Amino acid sequence: MAKKNQEVEQTTEKNENEISLRETAGLSQGQIIFRRFVRHRAAMFSLFSIVFIILFTYTASGIHLGSEKNPITVPGWWGHTIEEIDVAGANANLCENGIPGCPTLDILPSFIDGTGMQIGPHPFGQESLGTDYFALVMRGAEQSIMVMLVVGLLGVAIGTTIGAIAGFYGGWVDAILMRVTDLFLVTPTLIIGAVIGFRFGNAGVFPLAIMIGVFSWMGLARFVRTEFLSLREREFVDAARVAGASNARIIFKHILPNAIGIIIVAGTLLLSGSILLESALSYLGFGVQSPDVSLGLLISHYQDTFTVSPWLFFWPGFFIITIALCINFIGDGLRDAFDPRQKRRITKKDREQAKAAAKAGA
Amino acid sequence: MKATRIVRAVAGVAISGLTIAGLSVAAVAPAGAAARSTVVMMETSALTSLNGGTPDTNLVTNTDVGYLTGMGFIYYDNKPNLIRNTKFGHFEVVKKTATDFQVKYTVNKGQVWSDGTPIDAVDLLLSHVLSSGKYSIAAGLGDPSVSTAAFDSVGYGGTYDGHVVGTPVLSADKMSLTIKYDSFQPEWEILGPGPSPVHTLELLAAGKTKLGTAKENLAAKAAFLKDFTTKNTAQLKKIGAIWSKSFNIKTVDSSTNPLLLVCNGAFKVASAVADQSVTMVLNPKYNSGPAMTKTNPITKVIFSFIADGSPSYQALRNGDIDIYDGQPDAAGVAQLKAIRSATVYGGVSMTYEHVDLRVGAANGDKTEYTGPFAGDTQKAKDLRHAFLLALPRGDILDSQVKPFNPSGVVMNSHFTLPGQTGYSTIVAGSGVSEYTTGTQAERTAKALALVKKYYPTASATVQPVDIKFLFKGSQRRIDENKLIAAEEAKAGFNVSTTPNAAWSSNLSNVSYDLAMFAWAPSSVSQTGTNANFQTDGGNNHSGWGNAELDKILHSLEAYLTPAQITAKYLAAEKIVNANYYTLPLYQWPTTIAANTALKGIKSAPLTPNVVWNFWEWHY
Amino acid sequence: MFAYIVRRLGMMMVVVFGASFMAYNLEAYSSDPLAELQQSTAPNKQYLIERLTRDLMLDVPPPIRYFNWLKGLVAGLWGQFDLGMTRDKHSVAEYIGAAIPTTFRLVIGSTVLAIVIGITIGMVTAIRQYSRFDYSMTFVAFLLFSLPVFWVAVLLKEYLAIQFNDFLLDPHMTWPYIIAFSLFAGLLWASIIGGERRRFYAVFVGVFVGNAILLEVLSLTSWFIQPGLGIAGVAVFGGVIAVAVTQISTGLDDKKALYASLITAGLVVAAYYPLQLVMNDKASLLTVIALFAGVLVAAGAVGYFITKIDRRAIMRTAMLTGFLAMIPVVVDRFMQEFGAYYKSDAINGRPIPTMGQANQLLTPEQAHNFWINSLDGFTHVFLPTVALTLISFAGYVRFSRGSLLEVLNMDYIRTARAKGLTERTVIVRHALRNAMLPLTTILVNDFAGVIGGAIITESIFGWKGMGSLFNQAIGSYDLNLFMGVFIISSFLTVLANLVADLLFGVMDPRIRIRK
Repeated sequence: MAKKNQEVEQTTEKNENEISLRETAGLSQGQIIFRRFVRHRAAMFSLFSIVFIILFTYTASGIHLGSEKNPITVPGWWGHTIEEIDVAGANANLCENGIPGCPTLDILPSFIDGTGMQIGPHPFGQESLGTDYFALVMRGAEQSIMVMLVVGLLGVAIGTTIGAIAGFYGGWVDAILMRVTDLFLVTPTLIIGAVIGFRFGNAGVFPLAIMIGVFSWMGLARFVRTEFLSLREREFVDAARVAGASNARIIFKHILPNAIGIIIVAGTLLLSGSILLESALSYLGFGVQSPDVSLGLLISHYQDTFTVSPWLFFWPGFFIITIALCINFIGDGLRDAFDPRQKRRITKKDREQAKAAAKAGA
Repeated sequence: MKATRIVRAVAGVAISGLTIAGLSVAAVAPAGAAARSTVVMMETSALTSLNGGTPDTNLVTNTDVGYLTGMGFIYYDNKPNLIRNTKFGHFEVVKKTATDFQVKYTVNKGQVWSDGTPIDAVDLLLSHVLSSGKYSIAAGLGDPSVSTAAFDSVGYGGTYDGHVVGTPVLSADKMSLTIKYDSFQPEWEILGPGPSPVHTLELLAAGKTKLGTAKENLAAKAAFLKDFTTKNTAQLKKIGAIWSKSFNIKTVDSSTNPLLLVCNGAFKVASAVADQSVTMVLNPKYNSGPAMTKTNPITKVIFSFIADGSPSYQALRNGDIDIYDGQPDAAGVAQLKAIRSATVYGGVSMTYEHVDLRVGAANGDKTEYTGPFAGDTQKAKDLRHAFLLALPRGDILDSQVKPFNPSGVVMNSHFTLPGQTGYSTIVAGSGVSEYTTGTQAERTAKALALVKKYYPTASATVQPVDIKFLFKGSQRRIDENKLIAAEEAKAGFNVSTTPNAAWSSNLSNVSYDLAMFAWAPSSVSQTGTNANFQTDGGNNHSGWGNAELDKILHSLEAYLTPAQITAKYLAAEKIVNANYYTLPLYQWPTTIAANTALKGIKSAPLTPNVVWNFWEWHY
Repeated sequence: MFAYIVRRLGMMMVVVFGASFMAYNLEAYSSDPLAELQQSTAPNKQYLIERLTRDLMLDVPPPIRYFNWLKGLVAGLWGQFDLGMTRDKHSVAEYIGAAIPTTFRLVIGSTVLAIVIGITIGMVTAIRQYSRFDYSMTFVAFLLFSLPVFWVAVLLKEYLAIQFNDFLLDPHMTWPYIIAFSLFAGLLWASIIGGERRRFYAVFVGVFVGNAILLEVLSLTSWFIQPGLGIAGVAVFGGVIAVAVTQISTGLDDKKALYASLITAGLVVAAYYPLQLVMNDKASLLTVIALFAGVLVAAGAVGYFITKIDRRAIMRTAMLTGFLAMIPVVVDRFMQEFGAYYKSDAINGRPIPTMGQANQLLTPEQAHNFWINSLDGFTHVFLPTVALTLISFAGYVRFSRGSLLEVLNMDYIRTARAKGLTERTVIVRHALRNAMLPLTTILVNDFAGVIGGAIITESIFGWKGMGSLFNQAIGSYDLNLFMGVFIISSFLTVLANLVADLLFGVMDPRIRIRK
């Protein structure tokens, strides 16, 4: 009996391996990665959430570009703007503890708290001047997402370029590029924020995003460099070289596809890191400057109100955490998808099927 | 393996029990503090020096420590009235002619420094060294206006320096000092000297590290008198270096030279931990000022250094500090009010917010100002008038002051503060009533009518007049700017809403049409406002200039009765209003929150703010 | 190799020079030092403005001013190192000298905790990949990853300090809390131990019931304000530690190792009462170190005499057991002091502070008592440590999980398993070591980030370390102070990169460092 069991077990493992193999048979690398990613439920859920959040916030508050003098604005579907003030309105809408500008959002149906579900004119409440907080949070999310994307794009672009060149060519090119990296690495972001805030505070969030991006590619560059250093010594690179491939071809066709996993993973870390960095800078007063808004600015401004008006810090906090969480899960999914050694998860169903097949075989 | 599992489970229970004990929460009302005698007060910056008299150390914490450890002829109460400290001494005008104005200061007998040395008028002489650039030059200590003098004092270059004549004269019994000025000084009461333990400076200069004996102390004091009168450059330079540098200590412990800690205040510094806190205990020899209250007085005061905002709110809530003295925003005040074990004391500060309209290029600036408010043409005046009419001062008060201080009022005079002598007379007659009668909507309608005279298209939706507004990017100013921009828009003004972090260096920048900031007076003074309004005055950044106004302001520099002063202020204020230069908004609210068990806390508008009446504090 | 290091050090100088020039100018252009004076109505405002301009050399353009600053640094070459004075006229070197230990005190504990907890959880999640525990830890890790630290700090102060202190006024845990905590503990342990459904529920129920009883007993005995383990508690901990250490180190099948560990733990328990005499009011840190050294020697001896075979492994196991078993004894000693500490005037019944580094109200006797003084230091460092640990351990969880997973998928692990080695041996002896290697580079970089990393935490908790010094310097236009902190932190960063590069080369022989 015991022997039989062992046999079944061995066959099961074999069948499990076969499941994995069968899954990937006849597919290109990209398709395999895509399939693996799609199967990562948390990552897929996060991907949908983040797309939804981006669409939601951008359509709610509209799109705001350009300078103060020549604003380019596409209005959103939400009726209030962040310029609106309504002190009397806020004072008329007191909470039970006497705090003005109470949120009107009520997600509890009437059989629980007596009042029906409703969104109301100011679902997230109003801040002290009566400005609609939903509009502020939406605009803040829009700005923070913009910062995040700009930082991410710049960081990945610069970091990959520098890291790839340094890692591939090595020697003095590597030495010089890495010292340039060090130079940027030691320059504190805080001081960049301070200078931007003081000198270009009027120019909006964009310069801040650019500057943060310009100063946040270093970790990624070091990752990519190490990966390139190790990949260029591999046999397939030698093979390509012997076959007469140019350096550019080797970099783009041979090494980069192999390093793309680490770039994407580090890139998602950079994205989720940048939204936190922005909030930290705003907390210290060196980030986004009022009257511009960002999630970081809102949460740092209202972080201590949780005993009296918790909604003011909860909503921006909710968006920061949700966005960062989603990005991290997407990164996790990508990591798993790109890892060639990673086995797909064998679900209980698969295992039972395999066992059944083994038993049937035995 | 079963045994292992059980063992693991037991470990799990034990370990999680321990870790979780730390997480447990229960809603229990905090207990009232037991009878204590210690007050822990928050300071937002660290102690950097025991001498707050140099430009680099003249910081809040240092001067607060100085206030608790030193007493002189005067202090401000919470009105703010200048109170004469008769326990220490008295002073009076002894001569008053057009070119000779003398004040005699007398120190009461029987007072001692904390080391037992008697206090007399010799101890007042150092003040002269610290405030008179002329003495510094004459004694070979350097010209403070050119380079840093031997005594790196914050006092040079002021009124005293400009008007004092000769050196102060000591009476025969050395208990009085007479100071002579070249003309009547309206601020004479606050120009007076304060006591310093000069004998310790001599001992320190001699390299001593222990308190002197009574005899040594008296000899040292005599030596200082000699050095002072003979202008002993070498010795004074030595003392100057000690005064300027040796007191810059952050740590006080048993190894600290006790000579640095000699004082005549109710408290003396007992210990200080660098960048953490400073502890002061009662000075048993104190008799230079108001006596400590009898019931449960305070015997120990600790200044603890912590950032403003939630760290200090939570520290107060947790009982880590007893007094919160910061600048909370509206959300912060709500937070402080929610602390059950603390009481919030609202008050007003002398610092006041105001809006200045630019009329021309400010002093020294060559670029011409060509904006809508430029010059004295009828059009410019009308536009300025319209702008001030539409200034929503009531809304600003409601949003910026009322949450802190429900009894706050809109400020209507530049020369006096609400509640001060003459304020109501001035407000009634200066023409400011135009901005207080009727509703804001009515005033804004009037403003729109004025603007329409020159810009017929102007309406609540069309803003033909572009206004560039200079203000700092703080929440307070941003909120105010928002309110102003919204209301002015209804009068046809298109007001810019971008703050400028470098606002202070742009005050004279002619590309801005108006500026909003605060004046922060450090004393109540008859002529203190002059520099703001005089043509080319040091604080006149908006290019105002009116000969008649200059004349009235100049006439304030004389000995006047309160009624005369009020009359002159009224005349000046009328001119300011007739030219539509500026409007005050409100006095900054102050917020003190303190442990409810601690009694006697009174917020005061001038520095040293809450600590001004520490002798009344008790549990 | 030597030449390479020398050249790298030389380059480092150039980098730091370039970066310092850049930073100096950026800082100089980042604010207006005269702003505050402009608001003043003091009659001698003009004098004060001129004096400040002169003092800070504001009339000299920053790029030129930089070289004036650099002079002091270069003078370091012939021993006259001078970082200048701060704006409040203290030496920058003195400021920094005081700040570095503060920062280290703050960061070391949390970094060590984050590493230990992070790597442990990371390893467990890797071994139990795609289990409930893995999923929930991944979620928790990412959640903590996504929290701004100032927010964590505010919440910690609210719940771990203010509300906990309130709770101590009436230290009885109510049933809803007991049930909630026991549920949490049950789920935690059940999912860590894992296994079949029946075993899962058995562990869950066991832990739940045990925990609830324990908490109720602790509540009833006012344990929270009068804590202590007693000899019984020490014995329980000792036994558990002995078994657990043996299990991980050699496996419980090694009876000699198990006996050695149990005997060691027994010795520690037996020494409980004598040790109380040693750990008296006059004890110092030295006493405690000596005690630990003594335990290590005794445990080593036990291991040595119990067997001749595999002596080193067994000695190691016994010594680790002894060391860990000693910890409850010392913790118990601190707990005994807590009651008096809690009731003393200085504490006033609120032992967990939200700010500061030490209680200034302690009497001199208390301040000189090692136990009370350490307890006070511990309560002050508690919240900032928890805050920093919470936000940083998540990173280690992810890194170590990924690293171990990668190793576990390698061929040599398959080989080891195929040889018939137990899972414990495969993981502890083969996989763990290789999985730890890549983590070292991350550790090195984190160490360099330590100085700048605590800016917000330090200012929130009122600690004057390098981070808040840096913040202060930027906020107050204190160029000399700013540059002082900058130089130290940039040197550390560049140095850490060098070390990381060298380590990397050592670890992966395929990488050639080009000469």
